[in-house]
Amino acid sequence: MTPRLEAIANCFQGVVPSIIATCGRDGEPNVTYISQVYLVDADHVALSCQFFNKTRRNVAENPYATVLVYDPLTFEAYKLRLRFVRAETEGPLFDVMADRIQAIASHTGMTGVFRLLSADVYDVLALEPVEGFLLPPDPVLDASPDAELPAGPLTEIRGLQVVSERISRARDLGGLLAGTLEALDELLGFSHAMVFLMDDAGVALEVAAERGYGGHGLGTRVGVGAGTVGTVAARRHMIRLVGVGTGLRYGRAIRGRVAECGDEAKLAPELPLPGLPDAQAQLVMPLLAGERLVGVLAVESRDPLCFDEWDEAFLQIVGNQIALGIDRMRAPSGQAAPAPRDALPTRSFVYFRNDDCVFVDGEYLVRNVPAKILWKLLGLHAREGRSEFTNRELRLDPTLGLPAVKDNLESRLILLRRRLAEKCPEVRLVPVRRGRFALELAARVTLEERDSAGSR
Amino acid sequence: MLSPDLAEFLESGVSILVGTRGDRFAPDCMRALGARVEPGLGELTVYLPEAVAESNLANLRDVPRAAICFSRPQDHRSIQIKGTVLEVREAREDERAVVERYRGALAASLGVLGLPPRIVFRVAHWPCRALRVRVESVFVQTPGPGAGAPLARPEGEAAP
Repeated sequence: MTPRLEAIANCFQGVVPSIIATCGRDGEPNVTYISQVYLVDADHVALSCQFFNKTRRNVAENPYATVLVYDPLTFEAYKLRLRFVRAETEGPLFDVMADRIQAIASHTGMTGVFRLLSADVYDVLALEPVEGFLLPPDPVLDASPDAELPAGPLTEIRGLQVVSERISRARDLGGLLAGTLEALDELLGFSHAMVFLMDDAGVALEVAAERGYGGHGLGTRVGVGAGTVGTVAARRHMIRLVGVGTGLRYGRAIRGRVAECGDEAKLAPELPLPGLPDAQAQLVMPLLAGERLVGVLAVESRDPLCFDEWDEAFLQIVGNQIALGIDRMRAPSGQAAPAPRDALPTRSFVYFRNDDCVFVDGEYLVRNVPAKILWKLLGLHAREGRSEFTNRELRLDPTLGLPAVKDNLESRLILLRRRLAEKCPEVRLVPVRRGRFALELAARVTLEERDSAGSR
Repeated sequence: MLSPDLAEFLESGVSILVGTRGDRFAPDCMRALGARVEPGLGELTVYLPEAVAESNLANLRDVPRAAICFSRPQDHRSIQIKGTVLEVREAREDERAVVERYRGALAASLGVLGLPPRIVFRVAHWPCRALRVRVESVFVQTPGPGAGAPLARPEGEAAP
């Protein structure tokens, strides 16, 4: 009987590497491992493309591919007959796949060197179990202990209720976090968990509470954008990493190749995992109070298949409650809502000198002259507190690289406004009167300059 | 073109993936269970378990070309070999030891990924078909920059 794709979801967790065969126009078959097969929906999967390699070139010429995936618990094999549909370079699917790769790249010191180029979407034309791949189990040798009964909905609702009560009754932040993590452990089995809180400057997170690490790790700091936790903080998306060991080995293999190819200078030191050194699964989620990031909740396990969609959904509910609880604790007493200054989100801008481009919260914003203009304005605001500027002073600034005639300053400002509206609406350039405009900030802004996207 | 070091790697029990294609360019693949390098001949033999080999063997009857990827799960060191399939025959009883030894090595290396050896030992592994392949090109396939670059070029560039 042909199973449905959803029924073999375990095969897409990335624990046992999958295999892909392709064939180009020249008729030469090619076979290799692939790092990530992502289950998109009942009829589609997506493969991660980090390098434009032979597989990718073949598929551009001949869209058919065969992929072998393995169940990491039973080692049953399944063959997927695929046809390439499209390569996505942005959007929700791309973001989910890119976040996982970014987390691995960051831990193996390869931020910027190793990243997702595209999420390649394929039609699944057929799904075939590989009949006869495994011999029947031996009744004595292969007798396995009975699987544990799955937790029922009553346990889950009861757990959620207890977590909510502890959050609402807590008298201080320490009690709130400790009580919540204790309930998650005892009632729901999340036995290794940490809460990171965002620092005031918005550049790093610090472990404020932990459960299952024997008190170790408290106070550990992680930079925004660094590792799984920092990536979640920067992108504000949840990341579920399964087969962490497999992912890190894959990352290190690429790191080795980068070094062999003479590009060692691009590599940063490896970043140890913040919790269990041998974690096999991590579920890390942003704690958001409205638009504001207050921290990150991380749970992990040595069991590579410990977390699934249910855990994601469930912890998201718990995470929202924790975030609101933290927000309430941190608000000055007698005040229902946090002070306006405190409520501002933080946006981190980085200017890459060698590339003349600006990133905001790790995402590309703008390059060339508009980037230099933005950097000048943000810098003057930070250093001198200025918020009003003239077109004339921009035209007179030789460092911006505007041509002497036909400088197109207006159209460059329009482009910059449009990019800001798309990527960072908290920063606006508002015309005041002819030839003058104001920089309006609805966020706390941090500024940093680096040489190039590969450096730290 | 198969140095002693490379031959040792190919025979060391690393993962072996075989890719083929049919006459309508539809690709297929499977795991092989063992490899033997013929010293000095530029040929190697890989073993395909019959229980799951039919679709790939049908491809090879139409188009005798194979891609064979050797990869070590611990560090992803990978080599891909391409060549012409010179012969497909039943594996001999005296070759069974190669396949049995390979199964043990595979269980050990997949154990690194967390798969219990008792499950890997259930892989159907005998009888096998032996695929004798003339090695025509060798590529570095370790993931990262330069993946797919040729490791060596065959003398006289034998055409399929």
